[in-house]
Amino acid sequence: MKKEMICIVCPVGCHLSIDTDSLEVSGNKCPRGEKYARIEITNPTRVVTSTVKVNSVLQRRVSIKTTDAIPKEKIFELMAMLDSIDLKVPVKIGDVVLENVFDTGENVVVTMTLDE
Amino acid sequence: MNYDLIIIGGGAAGVAALKSAYDPNLKILLVERENRLGGILKQCIHNGFGVHHYKEELTGPEYAVRGIDAIKTLDVDILTDTTVIDVEKTNGTFTVRMSNTTDGDHLRTSKAVILSSGCYERTRGAIQLPGDRPSGIMPAGSAQRYLNMEGYLVGKKIFILGSGDIGLIMARRMTLEGAKVLGVAEIMPYSNGLTRNIVQCLHDFDIPLYLSHTISDIRGKSRLEGITISEVDETFQTIEGTEKHFDVDTLLLSVGLIPDINMFESLSFETSRKTNGAIVDQTYQTSVEGLFACGNALHVHDLVDFVTEESEKAGKSAKAFIMENHKKNKKLIDIEASDNIGYVLPQKLDMDQPFDEVELSFRATMKGDKGVFVIHQGDQEILTKKARFVMPAEMEKISLKKDLIDTTEPITIRFEVTQ
Amino acid sequence: MTYDYIIIGAGVVGTAIARELMKYQVNALMVEKENDVCNHASLANSAIVHSGHDPKPGTLKAKLNVEGNNLYEKLENTLDLPLLKNGALMVAFSEEDNKTLKTYYNQAIENGVEGVALLNKEDALKREPNLNPKVTMVLDLPTTKVTYPWEVTLAFAENAIDNGLELKKSTEVKNIEKIDGLFIVTTTKGESFKTHSIINAAGAFTGKIAAMIEKNTPYTIKPRRGEYFVIDRHVKGFINHTLYPTPTALGKGVLIVPQVHGETLIGPNSVFQDDPENIDNTKSGLSYVRKESTKLCDSIPFNKVIRTFTGVRASSTYDDFYIKESDEVKGFIHVAGIDSPGLSAAPAIAEYVVNTIINAEQSFTKKTDFIEKRHGLKLFHQMTDEDKKEAFRVEPRHGNLICKCEKITEADIVHAVNSSVPGDTVKGIKKRSRAGAGLCQGGYCEHNVIHLIARELKKDVTKVEYYDKESYILQSETKVKK
Repeated sequence: MKKEMICIVCPVGCHLSIDTDSLEVSGNKCPRGEKYARIEITNPTRVVTSTVKVNSVLQRRVSIKTTDAIPKEKIFELMAMLDSIDLKVPVKIGDVVLENVFDTGENVVVTMTLDE
Repeated sequence: MNYDLIIIGGGAAGVAALKSAYDPNLKILLVERENRLGGILKQCIHNGFGVHHYKEELTGPEYAVRGIDAIKTLDVDILTDTTVIDVEKTNGTFTVRMSNTTDGDHLRTSKAVILSSGCYERTRGAIQLPGDRPSGIMPAGSAQRYLNMEGYLVGKKIFILGSGDIGLIMARRMTLEGAKVLGVAEIMPYSNGLTRNIVQCLHDFDIPLYLSHTISDIRGKSRLEGITISEVDETFQTIEGTEKHFDVDTLLLSVGLIPDINMFESLSFETSRKTNGAIVDQTYQTSVEGLFACGNALHVHDLVDFVTEESEKAGKSAKAFIMENHKKNKKLIDIEASDNIGYVLPQKLDMDQPFDEVELSFRATMKGDKGVFVIHQGDQEILTKKARFVMPAEMEKISLKKDLIDTTEPITIRFEVTQ
Repeated sequence: MTYDYIIIGAGVVGTAIARELMKYQVNALMVEKENDVCNHASLANSAIVHSGHDPKPGTLKAKLNVEGNNLYEKLENTLDLPLLKNGALMVAFSEEDNKTLKTYYNQAIENGVEGVALLNKEDALKREPNLNPKVTMVLDLPTTKVTYPWEVTLAFAENAIDNGLELKKSTEVKNIEKIDGLFIVTTTKGESFKTHSIINAAGAFTGKIAAMIEKNTPYTIKPRRGEYFVIDRHVKGFINHTLYPTPTALGKGVLIVPQVHGETLIGPNSVFQDDPENIDNTKSGLSYVRKESTKLCDSIPFNKVIRTFTGVRASSTYDDFYIKESDEVKGFIHVAGIDSPGLSAAPAIAEYVVNTIINAEQSFTKKTDFIEKRHGLKLFHQMTDEDKKEAFRVEPRHGNLICKCEKITEADIVHAVNSSVPGDTVKGIKKRSRAGAGLCQGGYCEHNVIHLIARELKKDVTKVEYYDKESYILQSETKVKK
């Protein structure tokens, strides 16, 4: 069957159409779009940014991110895992919160420094 | 209590201005009303910042830290938890009234002031949305702060008005934290946000985007119970019969940002109705000599990278103003927005200030995949630049070299769409 | 215990009556169905203390308006009432209007209004440069003032409480019976109270309350809505006086009213409706107000609107204030049909009820220890530099600015939370301290206000209400075990 999507690789935003069986792509104005559509169908990934609980006096949550994109289907599972994290100050940018999530090789790291 | 320069606001703009204004011979004070520097970036936990300036994709807090690290070791005074209440000017000296719990309500003076105080969110009242006025309606940025810095969800069933990036980002954020976002309405026929955000914030979660729609009714006695959206015509009037109802407990508004320059009780300076910020020359000096403005306090930016660049220029200008004692020229050349351009900044050119080129920042009023920006001085065309994928949501820049400027006639910029 | 009086309704009229009553040794209870005092018409009006030019001579409205206007002057210092003494101009734009103005001129004099004068176009434009230049004549009404109705209601309520009034908020009257000469007032929560007399000051609900005990109430409340725009206070001086257009059969018309704290109100319209509690804003109402207001001034900066609101007047089928003891039920006192000039007349209504209708002197002993004065919240930014230094020395929290738009400090808000009628909701804090009433409408300070309320009242932030009971702003905490 055909799936429609918008390519986000560059500002043009080509409207793509991909056949989910044959993986044939149309609507792309460049080869990057073809590659994007195929990855989106077979293994879409996203960088996830969120927060976790922290005992800082400055703010009650500290921001985190995945070091690179992880499978899109795992996003809510990751959110659930983040719910049980409770960090203690000091925390700094780059501190690893979760290692190698879902065996992707990517970590969840802190993106904000809180000393107190 | 006497400074050469006081910088109001320690967000991206303030720290960048401080970095370039710094000189070991200058006494500088940076005043920040929150408990630490960073401004709005502290709550913008998503990524997409820094691609231009640092050639890296960073989250908001990470971007903020880069700017803060660059000024941490400078010999300057930084006051946090301190709010500026008023600024006056008498005989060439600025008197800044500020307040904190150490010194209370007190005054400090300076030769120059940089206004880098950011912006505030347009309110429901300002756009006169009809209907009841229950609790559960708030600006998207407020909801973002409650969620990202304090860890509270403001509602369970959400509708968002405005498809600018803050609205889109919050659609995703609220969904990830367990709320249900029923839709985003946008009065324009196209979204104001980045395509990437439409895909990753709306499509990813099957959140419908209703273009050419606005809120036509709001119902709820004590708490919001529901909203109605209606399609609008070309004049943005609602079309009867197109109503769609949504049962929601929260309405987030992402309906525009306005420069936060209202701490002046008596000092006035020329402002632009188009930007809601100060009218400035190419050195970012306002109509008040020695008062400079940069960042969102001057005009609302979509990329913080441009805030940094602009503010570094403003800081440099303020330093030159203080150390080289440039006098403001009375006769200024007007720079004006023409066809299909919403506004251009700076709005004035001061030929007496030393400069090699002036960087024009502007926004188109319409989308265009292909076109050209044309700059005239009087009748003379002095510069053209090809443009691709132009949209009002993305600020454009063109550098105009000094030697292109021949006369004192107004300079205009227009946008010609070819596709 | 049996009360002497139960006053139903904590609006400006109910609270004014309560204060007057508490000058005597009475046992009085005030019940209010909402979660605070000052909620309906008292919360949402033009804030004008009219001169008394408008009501028909010989009416109670005329008498009590003029008396009330004078009383505001007297009570300004006693109760710390904010008053903007900027006068008013009624504006004519035609020969026809001019004639009407002259009749109001005569009527004002007949009502005992002082200082009225008719001014020509030149003098009018000198007084008010931004007035529509099509003006032909104006009626000068210099005794007109503007007050701050939230503060006025709080002032009456606080002083009454300081003098022994008992106040029960979130207490809605469900039923009234008279048994063996005593009233039994039952509430929706199932509480019941005994009292010798009832003062029905329930505004738009006076009819509903009266029907609980009377068979034929001689008035019917006809709720009449008025929509308003609020223009930011940073827009200074475009209009300096209260401006009235020449009245029509519909009423006073759409006004321009500079406010005590610097904002300007534009409105109201006048539309009857069935539901007394419908206070929504409508596209048609707002565009009518906007269109009409340009007749007075065509340069109103509508791009500086920060808020819109709607107030509902408790107009009635009776052609005057209905302030009388019930014909059917002794001891049941109607204070009904209080639409304009209700705010202006409030202190005079109070005296009239307590002295004339009740004749308190006859049945009760005057207190010798009546606490006459009430001190309002002295907001930090309104103090002199000297007073600020001292206030800060005593309370360093005055250095922590919470509401940047209105310059309200942490100490201001703490005082508001802890006042005699405590502000325990976000909107309640706005009423008392003005935090959130400015340009950004709480966009910046709301989170801090929530934290202060939570801290002072020792409750969790998720239990801080916007206004009504359980109208929580923060719904749930994320990332905690549910």
